[in-house]
Amino acid sequence: MPTTEPREKFIVPIGPQHPALKEPGHFEFTVDGEIVTGATARLGYVHRGIEKGTEDRSWVQNLYLLERICGICSHSHALAYALGVEKLAGVEAPPRAQAIRVLVAELERIHSHLLWLGVAAHEAGFDTLFMYSWRDRETVMDLLENLTGNRVNYSANVLGGVKFDVSVEQADAIRRGLDFLEERTQHYLTVVTTDSMFLRRTRGIATMSKQQAEALGVIGPTARASDVPRDVRVESPYAAYTTFPVEAVLATAGDLEARFLVRVKELFESYRVIREILDRMPAGDLTARMPRRVKEGETVSRIEAPRGELFYFIKSGGGDRPERVKARTPSMFNFASVLTLAVGHQLADIPMIMAGIDPCFSCNDRLVVVNRIGHEADVWTWEKLRQYGIEYYRR
Amino acid sequence: MSTEPLLQKPELVLALSQLDRCRLCMAETLLEAAKALLQPWAAESTLPEPNRMDVPIPAADLLAAVKALHDARWGYLSAITGLDLGPEAGAMEALYHFCMGAAVVTLRVRLPRDEASVPSVCGLIPSASFFERELSEMFGVTVTDTPDPSRLFLPDDWPDGVYPLRKDFVMSPTGGGNGAQAE
Repeated sequence: MPTTEPREKFIVPIGPQHPALKEPGHFEFTVDGEIVTGATARLGYVHRGIEKGTEDRSWVQNLYLLERICGICSHSHALAYALGVEKLAGVEAPPRAQAIRVLVAELERIHSHLLWLGVAAHEAGFDTLFMYSWRDRETVMDLLENLTGNRVNYSANVLGGVKFDVSVEQADAIRRGLDFLEERTQHYLTVVTTDSMFLRRTRGIATMSKQQAEALGVIGPTARASDVPRDVRVESPYAAYTTFPVEAVLATAGDLEARFLVRVKELFESYRVIREILDRMPAGDLTARMPRRVKEGETVSRIEAPRGELFYFIKSGGGDRPERVKARTPSMFNFASVLTLAVGHQLADIPMIMAGIDPCFSCNDRLVVVNRIGHEADVWTWEKLRQYGIEYYRR
Repeated sequence: MSTEPLLQKPELVLALSQLDRCRLCMAETLLEAAKALLQPWAAESTLPEPNRMDVPIPAADLLAAVKALHDARWGYLSAITGLDLGPEAGAMEALYHFCMGAAVVTLRVRLPRDEASVPSVCGLIPSASFFERELSEMFGVTVTDTPDPSRLFLPDDWPDGVYPLRKDFVMSPTGGGNGAQAE
């Protein structure tokens, strides 16, 4: 907004609370007129002391505790932990169990990416896309429920294997679901690359060069959209990714559009690998025998969660519970990149920049515009900021 | 994808398992390279797993070691883990995990428990800021020159000098801490 009066510095605090989605976080953006000049973050509103909690619980109890770190990628947490503990104990889950683990991991990626597509579309004011993508997401949620009994927190893993088998009927249901989703995804790919209103919100926005992406240390789809080939499934395959390899989906533009492209295209790669697993499911047991005590030692377990590399460090003192479990989630990296990327952008772009990293961002329901000099505060909601962004681009 | 029909041929399944071995060799080569970069400290390095190398680093040399990996573009800093060895040992460790491909190099900085201090690596790796904030509030490790020393996860009204991930911090049954170190 052009103004003749001297511009004052504003701090725009966003967050922390929003009951609707995951992970609240608090950000403060310093703005000079329209332009963001600085950003800081404060997290921890849902810090539940889970790492500390693991030290008081048995190896098995922790599987269920850690699965509850995140409702979106619960399987990723359980898988990273189970693989790490199995490595420490010198136990290897049977091939069929590993294949089922990857099957669930990829179904989880599909639901997570579709969830993100809807949320990001909503932030852009494109609610039709939001409604359709969430309707279609129900397909994969149903498949997960049919397979595991749960829509979230599937508890597919046990230490040493998995809890359930995949029947012929379930496999057919998954194939039918994927056929439908693949057709829909093709449509979404067309929409996010051709809809001119939508492209105004994504093309050339929050561009991160390959060098920047490496320096900021972003991971997952956010990195791959800047041509940084970081994908643990490819770099350090775990579970059944050695037998059923995936290809890293890369884009070069590094802007928001590229982040849409990468995530939507990754869906096709997930469909392909799931079909391959169903067609060539290894026969055999579902679990290997797991000791109650785990040998003394330390290990690092890394897997590719929907948002990027999930890192677990596990230390055993030889007892029936861990000495230390450290979980570093992908958002830890990607949040930090928002703080840098936001600088120089319009305040109106913030919702989309946040959405671009697929963070747990919808928490930011409350926004206070503070005039630093006059000390007068005006309370904005996240909804108002979102609306502001949409209106801004209508002009 | 062309791999699907090919994979059903036994010789190609064999080729795949060789690929696995190849990845492991690659991890070994990467670790060798890291060892060469960390030459001044490499004498004490150990290989706890085929794809991992632990290198003990004195706190005073941390920046030099990180710089060696960073300048050679060896991987990226994936996490910093704090590790309390307990009041009896009187020591803590800060573990800097660098990942490249399947290889993980961990720089282990051993610190006295009552005066734990490490230099900030943010000058080289800006993305380490969150990790350092977490390390200092959870373990009471002072990170000198870190750009933002404020709390990241703990609540505003959390008592000073109480570090929840230290071993002598005991959770009360209601979920809060007993403030064991607060005195």
